[in-house]
Amino acid sequence: MKALVIAESADAARELSAGARTMADEVVLATFGEAPEAVADKVAVIAVPEGAIVDDAADTLLALADAEGVGVVLVEPTRHLKTVAGKIAAAKGTSTITDVMSFADGAASALYFGGVAERALKPSTDFAVYTVGSGAFADAAASGANEAVSVDWVAPAKAVELVSVAPVQKSGVDLNKADVVVAAGRGFSEEAQLDMARELCDKIGGGLGCSRPLTEGVDWLPRETYIGVSGLMLSPKVYVSLGISGQMQHMVGANRSGMIFAVNKDKNAPIFKQCDYGLVGDIVDVLPALNAAL
Amino acid sequence: MEIAVLFKVVPDDQDIQVKADRTLDFSKAKPKVSEYDLNAIEEAAQLAAANPGSKVVAITVGPKSIDDSKLKKNVLARGVDELVMVADDSLDGLDAYATAAALAKAVESAGSFDVLLAGDGSADNYAQQVPVQLACVMGLPVVTAATKVDVDGAAATIERTLEDAVETVRVALPAVVAVTPDIALPRIPGMKDILAAGKKPAAITAEQAPVACATEVVSCLAPESADRKLVVLDAKADGAIDEFAAALKAAL
Ligand SMILES: Cc1cc2nc3c(=O)[nH]c(=O)nc-3n(C[C@H](O)[C@H](O)[C@H](O)COP(=O)(O)OP(=O)(O)OC[C@H]3O[C@@H](n4cnc5c(N)ncnc54)[C@H](O)[C@@H]3O)c2cc1C
Repeated sequence: MKALVIAESADAARELSAGARTMADEVVLATFGEAPEAVADKVAVIAVPEGAIVDDAADTLLALADAEGVGVVLVEPTRHLKTVAGKIAAAKGTSTITDVMSFADGAASALYFGGVAERALKPSTDFAVYTVGSGAFADAAASGANEAVSVDWVAPAKAVELVSVAPVQKSGVDLNKADVVVAAGRGFSEEAQLDMARELCDKIGGGLGCSRPLTEGVDWLPRETYIGVSGLMLSPKVYVSLGISGQMQHMVGANRSGMIFAVNKDKNAPIFKQCDYGLVGDIVDVLPALNAAL
Repeated sequence: MEIAVLFKVVPDDQDIQVKADRTLDFSKAKPKVSEYDLNAIEEAAQLAAANPGSKVVAITVGPKSIDDSKLKKNVLARGVDELVMVADDSLDGLDAYATAAALAKAVESAGSFDVLLAGDGSADNYAQQVPVQLACVMGLPVVTAATKVDVDGAAATIERTLEDAVETVRVALPAVVAVTPDIALPRIPGMKDILAAGKKPAAITAEQAPVACATEVVSCLAPESADRKLVVLDAKADGAIDEFAAALKAAL
């Protein structure tokens, strides 16, 4: 069988090509810029025409998949490429199995209800499409001659027009590298209260993250610092949650931490069933006292 | 403008129990509108308000249990004019392929629409695939990750917020648009809205020809939970804060 890998980033191109090698006899890589060296048998660089969106490369990639006789497609789970995966799956009469964490015995494992459970899924069709997160193929090695394949852009029947692109300013905070992470949740009722969390960070050498609601609707912390199934999946030595209820969608990003500490005013909050040390109290009273004690 | 908003009904995950064998028990979990679909419903209501003469039809497909009077009122109390529901046990646990097939039929039976809005991803699968597959079935263009939608005439200008860029795109209508939770904060319906909701049209039908799923679930198990110390102190108790601080210091 042949596999098609579709990736925007070089890291994903490399890892997914390595993974595809464990599933297929031949690996075709499609990228949108320069491909990493020696990772696939064939490489197609897709030139997205000016005024088109990457999502609309689906028809081009479908033509490539058909021309190459591909049976499995591995896709990097970016916003653009999730649309591409969906369009390819629809055309092939199947469903994309999304955000796969690992493969075993022909089944792909992914989170269900934000981590309440893990499901193993299998396509019932001959053609399979997966989006695969980083780490799923960490042990596999990529190889190949990277023979260039040229592909012509196939315009979709109803194209979306790209008017302009503006880069998103990033904060530069990388909590993946932090040993100690402090996370603030909706228990913070005003933005200024976050200073108490920042002081705690200073005391214990931690990085400040949050639950998703603090980055949405309100814009108190950068989007790249929210922890959970749709954000960061962390495994620091110490994780301190402040005013977070402990719902699974959040906890799945923190429950591999070495030690979990929690402050919440509700003694029945689910976080207290998932922590090493919990403190029942209002952050407004507890944090100044805690900061003083540290 | 005719606006369809697609939503999914899911069991309330707060009440999903994990059994001793790590399988899930949904028997205590009441049906609720998937969290981020509320944002899509709100955006639909706001788009309608900004374009006088518009109508909002909320559409969903799922098992019989989604036909819940509280849930239906909750949807209709959010600036929605009509509800269309296909409630049939053949529509339980569908994947994106089968959902899109069922939804496309429900949409076609409900009328013709200029914009079909959907949420960012459902609480159960969060696959973000249904709007894309639906657009393919219906032969429409699709835009995902929308954080701003402006409709003018036969086209919409949409801002989409991606991982590291904001794209502004233009799409001819009708189109399917999946919106992020950022786009609009769901309202909290008042008593008056809920009372009025009971009088709005709601069409509940059964599925005539269900389409089979293209994927199968081999297993579904809760993860082994990590061993935690579970020492929970009352901050008001003597020495509690010092004990917590000492444990925190020791862990660093
Ligand atoms: C598809 C999907 C994906 C999602 N992905 C993510 C994700 O990646 N990350 C994420 O975080 N969420 C995610 N969510 C949202 C998630 O389900 C929860 O809604 C969210 O994590 C709740 O955030 P929270 O704990 O801060 O707020 P809440 O659940 O509102 O909890 C606030 C807590 O603060 C406590 N509190 C209130 N006031 C005080 C005070 N003064 N002092 C002390 N404690 C106080 C309360 O007792 C409560 O327990 C997702 C949801 C869906 C549907």
